[in-house]
Amino acid sequence: MSFAGKILRIDLTNCEINKYDSDLAKNYIGGFGFCAKLACDNIKPEMDPLSPSNPLIIGAGALVGTNAPATSRIYAFTKLPANGAIGWGGGGGVTFACNLKFAGYDAVIIEGKADRPVFITIEDNDIGICDAEDTWGFGISETCQKIWKECGEGGIMAIGQAGENLVRFSMMYVDRLSTVGRGGIGAVMGSKNLKALFVRGSGSVEVKDRRRFDKAVKELLERMRSYPYLKEWQELGLLKSLPAIPRDVYLKLRKRRIACVSCPIGDKDVLELDGEEIYTTSAVNLVTPAVMGMNYKDAMRLTAKLDEYGMDMFEFLGILNFAKELSEKGKLELDSEIDFTSLDSMLSWAKKIALREGTGDLLANGFTEMEKKFGVKPKSVVKGLRAYVTPKGPLIWNLFGTMELGQILDPRGPHVAAGGSPTYFAKRPPESFRKHLARMGIPDEKIEEILSGGIKIGKLLCYSHIWFTVLASLGICARAQINRFYNADICAELYSAATGIEISKNQLLDRAKEVWRMLKLANFRAGFTREDDLPPEDWLDDGFRDYVTGEPLTKEDVERMLDEHYMEMGLEEFMRR
Amino acid sequence: MIVVHPENCTGCMRCMLVCSYTYTKKFSFSASRIKIREYRAEFTEDCNECGKCVEQCFYGALEMVK
Repeated sequence: MSFAGKILRIDLTNCEINKYDSDLAKNYIGGFGFCAKLACDNIKPEMDPLSPSNPLIIGAGALVGTNAPATSRIYAFTKLPANGAIGWGGGGGVTFACNLKFAGYDAVIIEGKADRPVFITIEDNDIGICDAEDTWGFGISETCQKIWKECGEGGIMAIGQAGENLVRFSMMYVDRLSTVGRGGIGAVMGSKNLKALFVRGSGSVEVKDRRRFDKAVKELLERMRSYPYLKEWQELGLLKSLPAIPRDVYLKLRKRRIACVSCPIGDKDVLELDGEEIYTTSAVNLVTPAVMGMNYKDAMRLTAKLDEYGMDMFEFLGILNFAKELSEKGKLELDSEIDFTSLDSMLSWAKKIALREGTGDLLANGFTEMEKKFGVKPKSVVKGLRAYVTPKGPLIWNLFGTMELGQILDPRGPHVAAGGSPTYFAKRPPESFRKHLARMGIPDEKIEEILSGGIKIGKLLCYSHIWFTVLASLGICARAQINRFYNADICAELYSAATGIEISKNQLLDRAKEVWRMLKLANFRAGFTREDDLPPEDWLDDGFRDYVTGEPLTKEDVERMLDEHYMEMGLEEFMRR
Repeated sequence: MIVVHPENCTGCMRCMLVCSYTYTKKFSFSASRIKIREYRAEFTEDCNECGKCVEQCFYGALEMVK
């Protein structure tokens, strides 16, 4: 019932548009799970990520469009240009995800390549492939503003110049606020000559059993209302747990807090810095370059510019670090100095990379190509992308929990979103884990196994992945401030009431496990091996430390975690013999 | 009477979702009697000030004043 019921398929080469019914929800839950299945069925191992044949599959979860809190996530699957993985990017759907459902579609598959720059408009049954010559070359904000002016209210996914120029760490942006993918999903759009998608739905989303659905939503909302830190989360967002700038400085800059549709604890922002408006997915992201020695205002200006180009900031800083290292080794001649403390230097490199000028053309190809060309292994790079959390990074601890292990086991590369668990915080006593693990739906006997003799991080990560898959397939935001209110029972109840597909908690978790396992197997079939799941050398011995003992992490420790993980995930064939 | 505080609106549209659901049994933007445009609330002629939208607002953008 709460499914829109149709999949939209657009072939940009032949301008062919098809709509068809799908029964994928039955076995693949919805949203993330649904799109993962479409990706595994439609992406062939031999496909070049930037070829017209590589599909871009965008979908919204089972609860998207309803008033269940914070159910607006959008996921995009494709073969990633950064590493060739059958991967995905996920982002806050802002107004895009629910409009897609209201227009009548659970997912849209885009194939082929337009013969000129275009943008797609989806307005219920009317699908348009429109000329985008006049926005090609525009940044994200300018593109969105032009399309809104032309088409009116609606959700937009767009790329900037980095995506147009096939930068391997370019992203898509939703309503100029949230980011989707740093494995180069923006470049996949660019390779199709696709500047943007616009969607507006005048239809609706229904739930099958209103009384049951309303009861579950009411309970969730009451718990959120009575949460003692609600106001603080609403006010500060991620700055509450990562205070990258002082509260008073932040509040002075902030013009408006923005939330994705249905979210009671929104954390996107419009800031005003010296008269200039900045739209951002998070103030924490915006000031991140400050850790490289920049002042916070310049850090904000830099990230804002990178967002305009549609380019991932973490990857941008990582690739410049690598280029600097190569230059110092005499292997690479730079056409200007790389100075992480200078805004001018950083802006000049952002432009060179986004527009592929000078040495920027080489850097835009990302770590995989650079490593091949120079024969030097970059530090803390996993599957062609720089890890977010590294042992010498800005976090105050260096313990190896599920998020850290998740960075090497995630089939798409070093992301942390799917690896959440209480190890997010350092040095929690194992006993404090029980409540959280039960919430994720882990059976009692498995909790005992995970917590006996320390914490079995590999085994626990299997359940982090399953829990993430449940949330993502329903369209629920996985951020800590939201996910804490949900549990596996509530998810099964909401899903059953909304869709009319009766499902128990265990059935839901089993299907989620099958989705993750399917993705992992598809990537093994596409050429990834156990070797690709091993950590970078700089993480061992003097890098990360064991979460419980604090002893230096060894390769054997990680090999054991991998075996635990594969065993629990039903991937025994990849265990050591 | 519903008083609007646009400075607090985040554009989460929970008000629009609950309004359409209350009166049409379906979630939609088009059927809602409250419309959020550029973080400002407007009410259609059909609005009877039932207050469902106020109950759903988590940000203090809508207030019921007697």
